[in-house]
Amino acid sequence: MKKILYLFVMFFMVSCIGEEPLNPEADVEEFTIDPQLLTSKTIIDQANRKILIYLKPEAYQNGISPTLTLSKGATSSPASGTLIKFDQPVFYTISSESGGNQKKYDIEVVEIGTWTFNFETWFANRESGYEFPLDNDIQIWSSGNPGVALSGVPSQADVYPTRSTPNGFNGTKAAQLTTIPGNQLSEFLGIKLFPGSFFLGDFNSEQALANPLAATEFGQPYFDMPDKFTGYYTYTPGATFQDQAGNPVAGQKDRFSLYAVMFNGPDRLNGTNINTSDKIIARAELPNDVPASTEFKRFEVPFTYIPGRTPGNNVMVAIVASSSYQGDTYRGAIGSRLIVDSLRIIAK
Amino acid sequence: MKKYTYSLLAIVFSIFTFAQNQSEKFQFKVTAGLNIGGLSPIPLPDNIREIKSYDPGFNPSVGVEGLYQFHNKWSVGISPRVEYKGMKVKDRVMYFHTLIQMGEGSEAASFEGDFSGINYTESKNVYLGVPVFVQFTPGEKWHYRLGGYIAFLLDSRFKGTVSDGYIRNGGSLGEKVEVTTASFDFSDKMQKADYGLYAGISRDVSARFSVDLSLQWGLRSAFPSSFTGISFPMYNIYGQLGTSYRF
Repeated sequence: MKKILYLFVMFFMVSCIGEEPLNPEADVEEFTIDPQLLTSKTIIDQANRKILIYLKPEAYQNGISPTLTLSKGATSSPASGTLIKFDQPVFYTISSESGGNQKKYDIEVVEIGTWTFNFETWFANRESGYEFPLDNDIQIWSSGNPGVALSGVPSQADVYPTRSTPNGFNGTKAAQLTTIPGNQLSEFLGIKLFPGSFFLGDFNSEQALANPLAATEFGQPYFDMPDKFTGYYTYTPGATFQDQAGNPVAGQKDRFSLYAVMFNGPDRLNGTNINTSDKIIARAELPNDVPASTEFKRFEVPFTYIPGRTPGNNVMVAIVASSSYQGDTYRGAIGSRLIVDSLRIIAK
Repeated sequence: MKKYTYSLLAIVFSIFTFAQNQSEKFQFKVTAGLNIGGLSPIPLPDNIREIKSYDPGFNPSVGVEGLYQFHNKWSVGISPRVEYKGMKVKDRVMYFHTLIQMGEGSEAASFEGDFSGINYTESKNVYLGVPVFVQFTPGEKWHYRLGGYIAFLLDSRFKGTVSDGYIRNGGSLGEKVEVTTASFDFSDKMQKADYGLYAGISRDVSARFSVDLSLQWGLRSAFPSSFTGISFPMYNIYGQLGTSYRF
């Protein structure tokens, strides 16, 4: 009798399921360009609706014909396969299968000229409010901010761990990284603090919850042999170091981390392998056991080449900074603050 | 919980004493039954694509029943009971809109997005339910009932997980974020009272025993409209297979 009733209820519920709704999504899922024309892998920045491409000079001159993979049922304008030229701003408009939704992706051609980064120009994400610096109008630096945005903080720059500060070196703007407490939603996921992080590369939102360390994708293409990593910084550790569970750890002091890594691309390294990958060719890391200071200090660290590792055709360099050196495991002191300015990679 | 048990006992005694005195027109019964059903949106929104599994669980109901016969074929009745209403359901959803808010003031955090993937929900709620009905007895053994019920939530559980999918930050145009598994618990968000329609059939199987089949169809959403974690109203729809003993 009971069995029959279950079946009845199941049948009742299943028979009520209607037609599948038309897909409201309008993503560019893949943006494929002939690899012969590229110097590095394309980045689709879904949170900021930008597609960052790395072109060889002749491809930039002649234009490219990318192939687009879109959300099911979506259409793009211009269409996939159309020749696009860079004599004017390029963007794609994607319309969802459901018809009502449209999304615009800007195409940006990345060219990193001098590898001197002064962080004078900042831009805010349209929906979530966090800041990121622009270099020649292109976003080549990213941070953990897009991940923090998912924990539902208010849409304003000053609630995020990484943002601009007017108190940079020589009174110009700089990047300020602060370790901040988690909120109720993040604590639900076991995250009691957010370290300030800042790096050359991109943040892959898709991995933000499932594998946060893999979401931070490090590196930009580099065409020389790096010799030195230089710049200016200040660091003040927060008062109380806490472990992952949020409990204070007696006697432990927070430290920053700031380093540059040269490695073989074209795949970017991420938070899971930036210290361990066998693609790493050379590293330049600042000593972090230093007294606190609110005055800018200059640093100059040589790259140490790992014997036996040879650079291939797609060398990349990443610069990675964090206000808490164990922030990748959500350990650190709330209030720890690292300000970096005028970062530079000098070639041999 | 204790408070409700006492009030139920008080009702039992008053009906019992009253019934003793007026045994002709009054009937007094104790009832026991099992609820089978679900807390469900009506109709199912097309965001729900597939019911992968459904388990009604064990949802007992015990109570008392008082009937007053005011015509040779008609009676009125009241049937207060303490009962469980619960289910476990696993379904596949698409573009399921949710907005979760936690904390207040500077601590406030809210997340809004569209989830596509697998949802598993476990609900188990204890109600003090009070159906009130008119009973029609055309012949000897069969009784037909129609009425309404009110129910007061004594204890609630509504929690589960979302997994194997992704959520889009803000809505369908937001960036996709993969979700391997994440849990939710909306137990304390539920409405404290429920009301709805009540209908039933019962048949006397001996002088004192009868069996019955009844339906309670909730008309009030189990969550207040201010709650945005689930984007559609959900109703308590439960059938009961029961038995009663007349004193």
